[in-house]
Amino acid sequence: MRASLVLLLAALVIAVGAAPSDAQDAEAIRKELEQMRRRMEELSQRLQRLESQPTPVPPPAQVMPPSPPPTLTDLARPREPFALAPRRGGGQLLFDMGVVGDFVANVTQRSVDKADGGTFAGRENRFFPREVELSLFGQVDPYARAAVVVEAGEENPGGELTAALAEAHLTLLTLPYGFQAKLGQARNRFGWSNERHAHDLPWADVPNVYRNFFGEEGLRERGVEVSWVPDTPFYFEALVGLFDGDNEVAFGRGKLNEPLVTGRLRTFFEPGLEHGLLLGVSAAHGQTPDRLRSTLAGFDVRYKYTPDGWRHALLTLGAEGIYSIRRIEREAEVAAERRHFGWYAYAELQPWLRWALGARYDWSQYPVDAGREWAVEPYVTFWPSEFLRFRLAYKHTARSERSPFNDSGGNARLVDELLFQASFILGAHPAHPF
Amino acid sequence: MTRLWAIVPLVLGLAWPAAAGERVRVVTTIPDLKALTQAVGGDLVEVESLTRGTQNFHEAEVRPSMMLKLRRAQLLVENGAELDSWVDVAVTGANNPTIVRGGPGRIEISRGIPLLDVPTTRVDRSMGDVHPLGNPHFSLDPGLAPAITRTILDGLSRVAPQHRAAFERNRMAFLERLEQQMAAWVKTLEPVRGGKVVVYHPDFVYFLTRFGLVQVGTIEDRPGIPPSPQHLAGLIRQMQEHKVKVVLVEPWNDRKLAARVAEEAGGQALVIASSVGAVKGADDYISTVDYNVKALAAALR
Repeated sequence: MRASLVLLLAALVIAVGAAPSDAQDAEAIRKELEQMRRRMEELSQRLQRLESQPTPVPPPAQVMPPSPPPTLTDLARPREPFALAPRRGGGQLLFDMGVVGDFVANVTQRSVDKADGGTFAGRENRFFPREVELSLFGQVDPYARAAVVVEAGEENPGGELTAALAEAHLTLLTLPYGFQAKLGQARNRFGWSNERHAHDLPWADVPNVYRNFFGEEGLRERGVEVSWVPDTPFYFEALVGLFDGDNEVAFGRGKLNEPLVTGRLRTFFEPGLEHGLLLGVSAAHGQTPDRLRSTLAGFDVRYKYTPDGWRHALLTLGAEGIYSIRRIEREAEVAAERRHFGWYAYAELQPWLRWALGARYDWSQYPVDAGREWAVEPYVTFWPSEFLRFRLAYKHTARSERSPFNDSGGNARLVDELLFQASFILGAHPAHPF
Repeated sequence: MTRLWAIVPLVLGLAWPAAAGERVRVVTTIPDLKALTQAVGGDLVEVESLTRGTQNFHEAEVRPSMMLKLRRAQLLVENGAELDSWVDVAVTGANNPTIVRGGPGRIEISRGIPLLDVPTTRVDRSMGDVHPLGNPHFSLDPGLAPAITRTILDGLSRVAPQHRAAFERNRMAFLERLEQQMAAWVKTLEPVRGGKVVVYHPDFVYFLTRFGLVQVGTIEDRPGIPPSPQHLAGLIRQMQEHKVKVVLVEPWNDRKLAARVAEEAGGQALVIASSVGAVKGADDYISTVDYNVKALAAALR
């Protein structure tokens, strides 16, 4: 009995002693749980914050330490350009490629057809590919860009196409003091429209003054052109070029020791963000195959009005003129001089994104022959998309002389033509400047 | 005569003084990047954008005035992902070796961004003006601002390493302000989370994704291609089925068409700030995002 009492007392003591201890444990657990709950909340908030942040990204690949401009020795050192290709991922093209198709239909009078006196001489009343162009362009290395353009088109009736290297040039981009050099074969930067391919012009045909003074292909020469854009508060560009002088209509000597020398000055004004005015003067001096001097001076002006928020210009105005001074062989050892002039002006209104209406007026003499011609060409352009364009134009041309536009019994003194143009772009095509 | 001689060095471009003293001359292709560069560069930079907020950046015309800005630039910040590839033509005409592709003064922001809408199948132009590299309209997603400003910081520090610490301070201060705003923006849009919208052009996919909103369709049948009547009829049906009440349209896009589609579907067209400066009140980066958040929250309620 006594032993039982002792055991009972001992149990009581243990129980009394143990009760506070359990309570303390429970309290500790509660605290721990509370801490864990807080911690969970913190983590959850942190996670939310992290989720609202962007995915961690690797540092941009192009970050590199500044490199000093290349010295002459650097430029002269061979750089193994072909070794670069395997280092890039397979299947990655290292340049851009694009195809442009430009088809034209010309409908005119039978007499004009007979005389081959239409805008596209020899291709009257035909639907033909004027320019199908394959362009490859891109960066050669950190110092230069290059472009190669191969062009095919119908030059004579019969469906036979002529393919030729239209352009192949290299532009050195990293020359100091705002200089840049372009070497190779290219459309010369003479005036505004000459440097543009026919499919990029706002009309179905090349302005008469350019066709008369430089031929249908325009001035496209082989040589070097150096441009300079100084660091001035207004835009100013000057360029000079030295070329073979192969153009058969204006020059034709084709010798670098008696070269074709060209030059252009250009400036741009932006009186308010909605307006843009480009002004330029150009000159070209070379020799004909008979070693007679031929000099052409030109001006170009272009204005655009683009209302704020518009995706395209509402109004575009432009004009160009060429004044030609040319020595001609009149009699043996006696040379005469021809001073002839031509110009055009045009206006285009584009009230809707996909439609434009315009008209061009041409007035031009011929470089050597007597006489003159004028023409008026209203047109409408429709773009179903950025890469597809249709244009319909009517052109009336009046010439002061029958000859030489009366071959094969035809007569092209007065010419009425309906021109239809369809152009498309496949792949890359560089943006066109103002 | 003396005056005439004085302009000779100016015309030669050899002694034209930097208009802003020691400030780093930066040119960006779009205004959003101008705003972010300004935030990082602070008073140490002079930033100009080649385009305005009211423009469609895909179709910017290359003007000689762009070449003039680029001629004097020490750093060119381009968006990339083919949004502003026209800048290459402007750079070629600017005769500035520092900013040519691969030059030390050129950064392309898209290289540091995980792009959305990256095509997983073969693409061609029958799909419209698709971007093979992904959707390039990421600049107004505030969640991507840390990554964008990081690239800008690296670019600025490369051309002006002496100011790196200041650029870092500016960036951190900007990101702190942005984070505070972000909390408010999330709260503002929380009640409309999951809200459905139709957009004219897929300009807002990053922004919508960030705030849990859903793009149900586009007015453009395919990017850059005008919509056909069949497409619009289908879109209106889709909007009615999904109870979509809001059509987002950029200031430069066809707002009348957007309004007509919205009206037919029983909703409203909402002109949204597609870029900094696109609408009144969207004067800098934060105010532009703020404008969009508030406009969307009000329209979706």
